[in-house]
Amino acid sequence: MAFYGLLSFSGQPFQWQLLQDPYLFSILRFTLWQSALSALFSVLFAWPVALALLHLRDSHHKRWFLSLCVLCFVLPTLILITGIVALLGQSGVLTPFLGEDWNIYGLSGILLAHIYLNMPFAIRAIYLRLSAIPAGSWRLVQQLKLNRWQQFRYLEWPAAKSATWITLGFVMVLCFNSFAVVLALGGGPKSTTFEVAIYQALKYDFNIPEALLLSWIQLIVAGGLYLIVTTFGHVSWLGQEVKNRTFLPHPSPRERRFYNVVYSAAWMFLLAPLTALIPKTRDVWLDTEFWSSLIRPLSTSILLALMTTLLSVTLAYAALQPYRKALRTRSSSALWLDGLASHTLVVPAMVLSVGIFVFCLPRMDIDQWGFFLVMFVNALVSIPFAITQLKPALASYDQQYWPIIQTLKLGFRQRVYVEWKFIRPVLMTAASFVSVLVLGDVAIYSIFGNQDFVTLPWLIYGYASTYRIAEAALASVVLLGISLALVLLLEKQRSRNA
Amino acid sequence: MLRVSEVTIERPPQQFRYDLFVQTGEIAAIQGVSGVGKSTLLECLAGFIHPVAGDITWNDVNLLPLEPRERPVSMLFQEHNLFEHLSVRDNLHLALGKDNNNDIHQAALALGISDHLHKLPAELSGGQRQRVALIRTLMRPEPLILLDEPFSELDDDTRSVATGWAREQARLRQKTMLVVTHQAEDVTRLADRVITLV
Repeated sequence: MAFYGLLSFSGQPFQWQLLQDPYLFSILRFTLWQSALSALFSVLFAWPVALALLHLRDSHHKRWFLSLCVLCFVLPTLILITGIVALLGQSGVLTPFLGEDWNIYGLSGILLAHIYLNMPFAIRAIYLRLSAIPAGSWRLVQQLKLNRWQQFRYLEWPAAKSATWITLGFVMVLCFNSFAVVLALGGGPKSTTFEVAIYQALKYDFNIPEALLLSWIQLIVAGGLYLIVTTFGHVSWLGQEVKNRTFLPHPSPRERRFYNVVYSAAWMFLLAPLTALIPKTRDVWLDTEFWSSLIRPLSTSILLALMTTLLSVTLAYAALQPYRKALRTRSSSALWLDGLASHTLVVPAMVLSVGIFVFCLPRMDIDQWGFFLVMFVNALVSIPFAITQLKPALASYDQQYWPIIQTLKLGFRQRVYVEWKFIRPVLMTAASFVSVLVLGDVAIYSIFGNQDFVTLPWLIYGYASTYRIAEAALASVVLLGISLALVLLLEKQRSRNA
Repeated sequence: MLRVSEVTIERPPQQFRYDLFVQTGEIAAIQGVSGVGKSTLLECLAGFIHPVAGDITWNDVNLLPLEPRERPVSMLFQEHNLFEHLSVRDNLHLALGKDNNNDIHQAALALGISDHLHKLPAELSGGQRQRVALIRTLMRPEPLILLDEPFSELDDDTRSVATGWAREQARLRQKTMLVVTHQAEDVTRLADRVITLV
């Protein structure tokens, strides 16, 4: 449907002459530049933090830190943007220390937000690989008396090398498709990315041919990047770290000091924009008008998240059935179906939204059906995330239990009972993950949303763009609370699954 | 009678050939060196592996066109016999039905696992898990029982009790049983006849 929409709109031809427009090249250049820099810095800063996590002793706060990393990666972007503005904006807490030339809007703000959102993902991905280094290798390192550089060169880097490159590529794709950050912190046409340009062409200029052409370029570049990245493998970041290491060398006092500094700095970096929200909220805590204006967007967001999650998880489960059947019968189509289910990410949310928008425009009243379209497109976009969670669990269930189920001749209800009991925790994990992503959606809402059903992130965007930072901060704190609860639920279920 | 006539199974690079029969109500021990295809034979009888040639009949009914769930077979596998996320009691109820509660309790008492029914399989030792799986397999209504190394994790005393119980149940319920085992004592205590695969 989306591709049909992307092909044409009421017979209007593509504006091919746009391909020679310098504006287009400036967008492409900036989009690639900011995404490459964001990915590079995210991974570069993640390495020392992952090493610190590995070599510092296990503790409660380390587990909290890893949970915070999950929260930061899935955090509704508008919360972070409000936090960054509260910290480094025109009247930010830290702004007086940054000199007169400092301006949060533009490349600096975009990079800062992207690093904040993606560095935690890179930390977890690298740390998971490092924590899987077997105890025998660490013993060998000690036995051979390798120095710190050699330890990194021959043990740590090879263990996490592939994760580093894949993470780098994956983060670049994510930043290439970034919307809310660039919309809020871009600060003008000089710092525009494809997603924002598509949004502007569609919603402000109502230039559908231009939006379609931009969408195709976005799809080709982002999809191509994603396919290249996934050729090299997938990166695991939500798994449990290996805890049964029996031996790990003690760091020297100097190393230990370094790790402590890095670890503390990472804590501060991740907590600063979130804690910066609190003082800004004090003016509106008791403002009843604010709270009454919050009720409807909050209810809309929760209802939207609930319905989308239900739809997304159900569709993901249904989409996995042919794959499971092919796997059980050892059919070669299992690989093909596996690829199909995992590669939906090739199509960015904005491109999918534009395709469906153009498809629906002559066929229905988009304003009237906006809520359901936001739900439907969000569900489509989040299916791969739900599949990522469900697929290994269902494959392992089938591999382990398919013969007993057959030999016990279980009926339909009994099979549903046994399978439900098995996958319930994984379904809960998938549902919390999808819910938190949907709760933070801005890109899809920006295309299909309207004033009849304002969501909480869009309300925050409205407050932030009119410099009502106190209201934006308090609404962000509410959204943060819900996201935090979902992430804690996700972490709890994940440790139960493990 | 179970008849396996000139059955050939391809498992590249190996090829297995079987030609044997087991009388109704008989208990046959299947023996042979590792890799000779003992488990493969049981998996084929249960319908999880398809032969490239030959026939398998049970009381003159051809089993080959039947899916595993349609065959008159109850099988104990070498591993993955219990649903790990369900309690032992739920595992047994699922396979045997809640109406058999009294029989389940008696069997659990006889095999020394009655105190563990409320636990999850992961909380049990390997031997305890095997005894649960043995109850589940033997008390099923199917007439043909296939046991793939069912006593491998049991100590001598428990093994003696378990083989005795299995033989008694097989006789009582008129089961035809094929047991893969490496232990000579199991053969002596349990089997009517030995089929050696070569």
